[in-house]
Amino acid sequence: MASADQPKSGLPGVKLSKAGVMSFLSAQGILIFFLLGMLAFSLFSEQFLSQSNIMTVIRQASIIGIIAIGVTVVIIGGNLDLSVGSMLSFSTVLVVDLHDKIGPTNAILLMFAFTLMIGAVNGFLIGFLRLNSLIVTLAMLSAIQGLVLIYSGGQNVDIADQEGTWFAFFGRGYLGGIAVPILLFGLLAIVVQIVMSRTGYGRRIFAVGGNPMAAVYSGIRKNWCVFSTYLISAFCVACAALVLGSRVMGSQNNVGQGYELLVLAGIILGGTSLLGGAGSIWKTVIGVLMLGFIQNGLLLMGYPYYTQWIVTWVIIILAVWLDLANKRKSLFTTHS
Amino acid sequence: MTSIKGFFRGRAKIQPIWIFVIAIFIFFSFMSEYFLSWGNITNILVQTSTIGLIALGMTLVMINGNIDLSVGAILGLAASLAVGLQEISMTLAIAAALGAGILLGAINGLIVWKTGVNAFIVTLGAMLGIRGLLFVYTDEQSFYASNFAFSDFGMSSIGPMPVLAIIFLVCVLIMHLVLTRTSHGRNTFAVGGNPEASIDAGIRLGRHMMINFIIVGFFAALAGVLLSSQMGAATPNLGRDYELWVITAVVLGGTKLTGGSGSIIGTLGGVLAIGILRNGMNLMQVPAFYVLVVLGVILISVLIIDKKVNVPSSKEVRI
Amino acid sequence: MFNKTAIAASVIMMSITTAQAQDTYRIGITQNNVGVDSYQTTYESAFEAAAEKAGNVDIVVLDAGGDVARQIGQVRNLIQQQMDAIIIWPTNGQAVIPAIRQAHNAGIPVIVTNSKIAEAGLEFISAFSGPDNVQQGISSAEMMCDALGGEGKVVQISGQPGYTTALERATGFEKRLPEVCPDVELVETQPGNWNRERAQRVMEDFLTKYDQIDGVYSGDDNMGVGALNAAKGAGRADEIIFIGATNFAVGYDAIERGEYYGSIYQSPVDDAEAALQTALDVLAGKELPKMNFFETPKITAENLEEFDRPVF
Repeated sequence: MASADQPKSGLPGVKLSKAGVMSFLSAQGILIFFLLGMLAFSLFSEQFLSQSNIMTVIRQASIIGIIAIGVTVVIIGGNLDLSVGSMLSFSTVLVVDLHDKIGPTNAILLMFAFTLMIGAVNGFLIGFLRLNSLIVTLAMLSAIQGLVLIYSGGQNVDIADQEGTWFAFFGRGYLGGIAVPILLFGLLAIVVQIVMSRTGYGRRIFAVGGNPMAAVYSGIRKNWCVFSTYLISAFCVACAALVLGSRVMGSQNNVGQGYELLVLAGIILGGTSLLGGAGSIWKTVIGVLMLGFIQNGLLLMGYPYYTQWIVTWVIIILAVWLDLANKRKSLFTTHS
Repeated sequence: MTSIKGFFRGRAKIQPIWIFVIAIFIFFSFMSEYFLSWGNITNILVQTSTIGLIALGMTLVMINGNIDLSVGAILGLAASLAVGLQEISMTLAIAAALGAGILLGAINGLIVWKTGVNAFIVTLGAMLGIRGLLFVYTDEQSFYASNFAFSDFGMSSIGPMPVLAIIFLVCVLIMHLVLTRTSHGRNTFAVGGNPEASIDAGIRLGRHMMINFIIVGFFAALAGVLLSSQMGAATPNLGRDYELWVITAVVLGGTKLTGGSGSIIGTLGGVLAIGILRNGMNLMQVPAFYVLVVLGVILISVLIIDKKVNVPSSKEVRI
Repeated sequence: MFNKTAIAASVIMMSITTAQAQDTYRIGITQNNVGVDSYQTTYESAFEAAAEKAGNVDIVVLDAGGDVARQIGQVRNLIQQQMDAIIIWPTNGQAVIPAIRQAHNAGIPVIVTNSKIAEAGLEFISAFSGPDNVQQGISSAEMMCDALGGEGKVVQISGQPGYTTALERATGFEKRLPEVCPDVELVETQPGNWNRERAQRVMEDFLTKYDQIDGVYSGDDNMGVGALNAAKGAGRADEIIFIGATNFAVGYDAIERGEYYGSIYQSPVDDAEAALQTALDVLAGKELPKMNFFETPKITAENLEEFDRPVF
């Protein structure tokens, strides 16, 4: 049941028949869009393909990317998480505020603990009480934003000694010439991808998202599986907060506002269906990078930042449509 | 308000959200001396009318088993068109605003129908894209109506009733009748309840979906025009996050996200619940930060209670 | 759902309260977006403290959360509660005018604080109290000109689009810069939405896009420090002059360290106290000018010790 829905890794062996080419084009549609887009941008702006620009874009995309990894797991498990934006504000404010009060190590530990607790609340309400995930995380989005403001009293938080703290490592550091946020993004993507595709746990999440009833009959503890996906999502948010807090060395209370939608847009662009039971971390990584490059490319070409939203609109629908059309072997639905 | 009884024709059971509405109504009446006055109650009606109008359309879309996240952006675009085009002609401006809502609703509906892409994805994309179009059109500027006639309309009353409240209540009545008394309404339930069976039964599923997206697009645009008439102006960020409050209100009103069940009266209860809570907490001077938490907690509580109390009856849908 | 006796009762109750409350003023304030940054939050607590100190004032403090529609609802609620005066920190300089007009028509004096409303609304307000944001933009342009020695390329990171303060500061800066320094070129402006993280990203994009950047003007220090962060990350902070507005504590510290050239000193405490005082003066029937600006001087390393470190 579950294995059928799992992502195929690598390029499928395609014959050079017309149908084969078509199916290859739509199967790898996102990647092709991505490469064509990169090519187009590079024609208009010489800086676009420069190493420093590419690194800047990936580093900027890594915060959304890290969160998107966790949300992808939630979606594969058949649910949604709209609370990640508020949660990011919460975790960033918390870690930055506590940094000067109890030291970086304790601050980071405490921040992870509290973020995971919020994830556990989400997981409990959705996994065990079986409430609708869209509405629960929508309510949590509002409630957590309120909590952030109550906690900070609405004040910005700052780290006083920006130069002297090793906390700077997560957002500003470099290892072997590559920025730490990028490394963290890559590492998390690889680990979670392996967990999802190679372990029994991953198979169970696919099963629960793909066909919950069958999963329960086959003895999978669905409640715990759903619960755990929200812990993973919260863990990823905590990692993102580490990067964000360290990068900015301060935080406003609404710093994560709207991230939930950008994260979802990246995931959808990558081609993970919202229905659950299918998807992959790789697709999400590509989707998120694509969003980042669209934004950057349009900016470099001198278009205002909001033009990227219109382009994203068109590409999201085209990408998902082509994917669907390939699966049902026709461009349009048949019902009237 | 006195016609509530009439609304329930054929439906003896009072929805849980109405018990909640009545409870908070009584609560705030005791907590604030200003709450229970005609002026305040009409204020609540006017303030809820924006979210309320969109929620009417959203109820149909959600009974259909779909969702529309682009309503906030449509509202913003319609408001800017209604104000921005007034220099040419008031009629043209309002027609263009409502037309844009209908057109964008139709585009959403057509894409959902013809491509089969999930409505959440289609309208999430549209939400970004339409906001982008709005920023292109307005160049990120606010528009304002040069004469006060437009805003005077938004502030006007017929007798003791503000015009906006009357428009809202009339639309509630019309949509209630559309949903319960027309074949389109019956088919909307059927399509949401069991899409395959409805296709087998010869219901034109795609068309009904598209009509409902057009309806919600129209109501979002209408809400935008009316909101801009209250302000005599339109701002490019208008309507941001409204989709979240609209969906919240519709779900509070008992409409299921999975489709097939829901009612306009429930939705009216849902929007009033949010409106009364906001208004009452303002009057009680609850700090703004706590209002967010309270709204979130209440929404989850209602979900839990609904789940515990209402498990058997939620399946029964009287059409 | 309610009956006439209840309305009648509440009307009577209301008239009793007003009768009792002859000596204390009831002032309602609706703020723009408390919690979005420290300035607005500090303003709120300063306003409450000032009201406490004044003694004869009962205040109702509301927050519009940045949403124009909600602010209009709040003004209506305040009219409904028959406040003696309404103070409004406009979410938008134009969209709030009809609501202000409604209050004016109901005989309630309206005081606009911090951020101006459009010309069309001026006849309906009793007074404006706040900083002169156009002048701030002009001052920043002059500082930029001094710092650059009359030559160079600058970029601008502006505040929230559509927000009057952002617009006025940008206008002042853009108008004054070519007057004082015709050889300084403003190459690009992007909004940073009053958000440090966003400003940091915008600056990163600027840094990749332009090989030469000599100066950055940010709509406030919160964004300015974000720009400074980005330049430090790219190793180009030393070659760039940073100038902001609304001096935040982080900006103050950065000036002290010599990383940040200058800013405009603007205290939310002064802002809040001026607003309340203006409202009280209006209620006491004093003759006031329409526009009441409080001082917002330039602040650089030279005169730093004349100012207290901002509390926000």
